[in-house]
Amino acid sequence: MVEDQPIVELQQLWFPTRASGERSFLMNLEFGVNQIPKGDELSVAEVAWSTGDVEEALSMLPAIVPTETRGRMKQLLQPWPTGRYTDAYHRSGGILNLFTPSWDEAQDEVWAEMVAGWEATTYPDDETRQEALNELEQQWNASPHPFFSGLTPAQVMVGGGAREQVLATEFLERIAGMLDGRPFRSEGEALTHVVLVLRAWECEPRRRGMTPRKIIVAERDMLLARHARVLEGATQPA
Amino acid sequence: MGRKKKDKRKSRGRSRRSTRPTAVDYAYRKAVREADRALAESQVEIGADNWQEVALDWFTADARDRGELSSYIGSHKSRLGIGWARDLLRLEVFLRAGDHEAIMAHHDRAMTRYPRCALVDTWVAEQIGRQGGDWWRARSLLLYVVEQLPGHARPRYELGFQHYLLGDFPGALAWFDQAVERLAENETDFGAQVHFNRGMVRYALDGDRKAAIADVQTALRLRPDYEQAQEALRGLQGKPRWRPW
Repeated sequence: MVEDQPIVELQQLWFPTRASGERSFLMNLEFGVNQIPKGDELSVAEVAWSTGDVEEALSMLPAIVPTETRGRMKQLLQPWPTGRYTDAYHRSGGILNLFTPSWDEAQDEVWAEMVAGWEATTYPDDETRQEALNELEQQWNASPHPFFSGLTPAQVMVGGGAREQVLATEFLERIAGMLDGRPFRSEGEALTHVVLVLRAWECEPRRRGMTPRKIIVAERDMLLARHARVLEGATQPA
Repeated sequence: MGRKKKDKRKSRGRSRRSTRPTAVDYAYRKAVREADRALAESQVEIGADNWQEVALDWFTADARDRGELSSYIGSHKSRLGIGWARDLLRLEVFLRAGDHEAIMAHHDRAMTRYPRCALVDTWVAEQIGRQGGDWWRARSLLLYVVEQLPGHARPRYELGFQHYLLGDFPGALAWFDQAVERLAENETDFGAQVHFNRGMVRYALDGDRKAAIADVQTALRLRPDYEQAQEALRGLQGKPRWRPW
């Protein structure tokens, strides 16, 4: 008799659209790079941010991680731009944004309105004009965006953490149980139905007045604070 | 000579490939044939003397919508006619049948040939968003519609619903507020839906139970047999329990 055999856990999930299924892969990568090993140790993302060396960060991953996955992670671990976080358009946005059909700058009414305001303003010189644009970009990065489910682009950029991962799994298992095999008239109808369940779920009261949404936002803020600390440490002289 | 023949064959081949109907084309043509059959069974006869009346009578019974459509016809009379009326009636048949694929195909292939009609876009946007899953295209139609129809509640409600789906509860509430302000007296079932959803968003946004209860009660006054509202009211008056719409 051999005990303690390796166990393979199979999980069957259900997605209303192909795009959301593919985005869930990205969401899991974001969870992966933000995983904080133990105590004071740094996550893969934090190693990349602090050293500026993506390869070093990737070397923390087990050898079994496939090349394609490493490639996707490499993209995620690139240093953030000093200006607008346009990469946020191509991040998963976590479970709160998992099902939102893809969009980018072409649909971004918030940014378009900000730019229109900037263009309509007269500035004394080019330098002031450029400074105003830089400020606007920072403002966009830090403002809750209606199309990111109320997350800020910075909160989208940083990705989700361990708590969101647990919540996302809980939600995806719930919809798999509820909806797998259920007939829908169209993909759009399935999408609408799932998102209605999601929006209700994210507001469900939990312990200490928290809801999944509040837990997710708090954790992303914590990860952003760690990001800032790590960058600060990286720029200070040894 | 030989080369010429070869060229001719090539050209024919290319042309045949590019015009070959797809499965979507066949499905659309079939849907149009069925719509025409349904119209014939309803003894609809569209002629040069009655196309405006038939379009108005078929498309809507609502006085405000009739007014809008009538004004649209008046503005674009020279570009409309029997063909337009037939296409509008076909769209109406698809809407009544809830055939979202035919609705979207017909909008793209037929209705876009005529001047843009905000009333048509309202109904089509709902299908594109909810059934087609193309939220961004639906949004662009709806943003056009709210500018064109400043007194209509429905496109504002749809935008509120879309913001809710996007997870933007403040945005949803703002649109639902606008929809409530524009509800017509005869929009009782729809009014119930708008009030109910506004109440739910108010509760989701900041736990405003009192405001949510007031909205749900209004929904129930408008439609006493509204099961979701009955259940939500019980939940709001007791232990919080969230249910999807």
